[in-house]
Amino acid sequence: MHLSNTRKSISKLLLLVIALLIIGLSGISCVQGLQPIGWSGGVVSGDSLYLGTKEGKLVKITIADQSRKWSEPLKTAPTGGALSCMPSGGGGCSSAAPGVAIYGTPAAAGELIYMAGYNGKIYAYNSATMADRWVYPRESYLEAIVSGPVVAQNKVIFGCSDGKVYALDAANGDKLWEFSTGDKIWGNAAVAGNTVYIGSFDKKLYALNIGDGTQKWVYTTEGAIGSTPLVQDGTVYIGSFDRNLYALDAATGDFKWKFTGGSWFWACPLIINNNIYAGCLDGKVYVLSTGGNKINEFDLGYPISSTPVVVDNLVIFATQKGTVSSLNTSNGEIRLLLEIKQAIYGPLTAHDGIVYIHTQDLNLHRVNVRTGAVLPTVALSSKG
Amino acid sequence: MNVWDLIVMQPMINVLIIMTHYLANNFGLAIIALTIIINVALMPLSLKQMHSTLAMQELQPKLLELQKKYGKDRQAMAQEQMRLYKEAGMNPAGCMLPMLIQMPIWVALYQSIMLALAVSPEGLLNLARYLYSWPVVYAMLPLGRDFLGLDLAMPNLTLALLVGATMWMQQKMSTPPPLDPKAAAQSQMMMWMMPLMFGFLALSFPSGLSLYWVASSVVRIAMQYKVSGWGGLKPTPKPAAASKKYLKLNTGNEKPAAEDGKADITVDASGKTEKPGKLMKYLPWRDRQKK
Repeated sequence: MHLSNTRKSISKLLLLVIALLIIGLSGISCVQGLQPIGWSGGVVSGDSLYLGTKEGKLVKITIADQSRKWSEPLKTAPTGGALSCMPSGGGGCSSAAPGVAIYGTPAAAGELIYMAGYNGKIYAYNSATMADRWVYPRESYLEAIVSGPVVAQNKVIFGCSDGKVYALDAANGDKLWEFSTGDKIWGNAAVAGNTVYIGSFDKKLYALNIGDGTQKWVYTTEGAIGSTPLVQDGTVYIGSFDRNLYALDAATGDFKWKFTGGSWFWACPLIINNNIYAGCLDGKVYVLSTGGNKINEFDLGYPISSTPVVVDNLVIFATQKGTVSSLNTSNGEIRLLLEIKQAIYGPLTAHDGIVYIHTQDLNLHRVNVRTGAVLPTVALSSKG
Repeated sequence: MNVWDLIVMQPMINVLIIMTHYLANNFGLAIIALTIIINVALMPLSLKQMHSTLAMQELQPKLLELQKKYGKDRQAMAQEQMRLYKEAGMNPAGCMLPMLIQMPIWVALYQSIMLALAVSPEGLLNLARYLYSWPVVYAMLPLGRDFLGLDLAMPNLTLALLVGATMWMQQKMSTPPPLDPKAAAQSQMMMWMMPLMFGFLALSFPSGLSLYWVASSVVRIAMQYKVSGWGGLKPTPKPAAASKKYLKLNTGNEKPAAEDGKADITVDASGKTEKPGKLMKYLPWRDRQKK
């Protein structure tokens, strides 16, 4: 009897260990970045702010009264595992992500809003009705799209995880050209004049003719490129996974200088008063001269992956810890504006002195940078 | 970064990335190599656990005897059980303790693979905080996901089946047929449940993780073979019915039964045999010896 009881106890213990192991495996996988959730920034067009939510919808927020209107949800690409804890455009681990993930910030042009989904499709919506105007590709799906669309010269330009840069007709979504790189593209394209600049995981920054997608020049760094280039005054600035921020001649691709940080420059830098402000995943904001010399550095304590914004003479940075701080470019003063109990990954949006911060808990946080007032959060869930 | 991340996760992730660099930029090979290295490093513990389990299994007949002998006298039973363990020079916790010690290492390896795979953009961002500032580490990322035509970031049916099959094989080798029918049913359930569950999980997780499970099971199969041979995988010998002879002792006082005609040999009271002409004696120990 005793032996039998012992055996039963051991069996129960083993069953418990197995159950815990399985729950643990499932839990860890969903928490630690297996599940794509999305970090779309916002774009202001007219009187509204548009952004992609983790429900897989484009939401239009009227700035004056915060009323919201949603598009239809994006459809999940037909892939993924049995428990759907896989990057098939989101959709799995229902508590974590109920919809297709949207990483790229939407783009606005005329009456259309363009948005890319992690499901491998790009959509154009009517900005007033939120009805979709066209979708590319119409039937099939591309690989996951992490970069956001850029609209220039009546073209919608974006990079895809299939390693290609696509240019579509902004009016009807017809493909105009495509250009193949050697690996995935996750960063946005930047357009200056007739040139498209885009980085790839193949460690290269490409400059392409916007008209036909032919290559103008290419520059190879020592690490993959997942960030968005900044083009200003004839120089293109790009962060690489080799921990360097590069400055290249925008016309020829010639190397000008590079600055090494403590980790990746994931966020796109910005330039104000001839100084470059570059947030780094080492938690620091580096202030550099346009000649590449370090002027100053500020430690915000936590990784910075959000592209900053400028309001008056303030540069606003957000960290993955959920802190939002302003850096006064005149006197170098840092001020904590807001502390959110959510990680902030995506780009910030600024309009009329208010900074909008989209977090992965389906909320849009707001802070008036001029007054320092924290405004009520806007819930982005379409389910009330 | 917490202590666990700093002491365990960070070194393991960086080692995994560096191994990928030295193994032809192949993350799949790095997973296999690191799994083998960790298994080899933990081999003393694993072997101890396997030996303890084997010793425990060998004590099962004696434990059953004790159970029969002491019945409901729990105290006496426990005392005798402890005495038996002591005589055999073993500790009942010896099976579980090494397993518990190894568990965090396996969890760390599992987490490292998941992080290094950086399946989603959030995963890649999360990975950045674990990296050492060595150029070789930065230059490698994001890691290539192709291995023998498989996308290590996506689930794969073949690998999921292999996960289940290798896990079952390992379980079967380490579990001899129990003597007690109730225990046999439980053991049978356990033997199928783990492989089925892990096989099912493998259908939902990146196949890089399945590769780790398969590599781990294969190494453990090799270790188990060293300890107990094929163990439970060996076919159970069936009673040699065909070679057994049915002996009928005819005393002359009994009424002949229908089955008597099926007897291989009939011996009458005087010792005379009817067929096949040679007096045979049934010796039960011979059957036992054959087993």
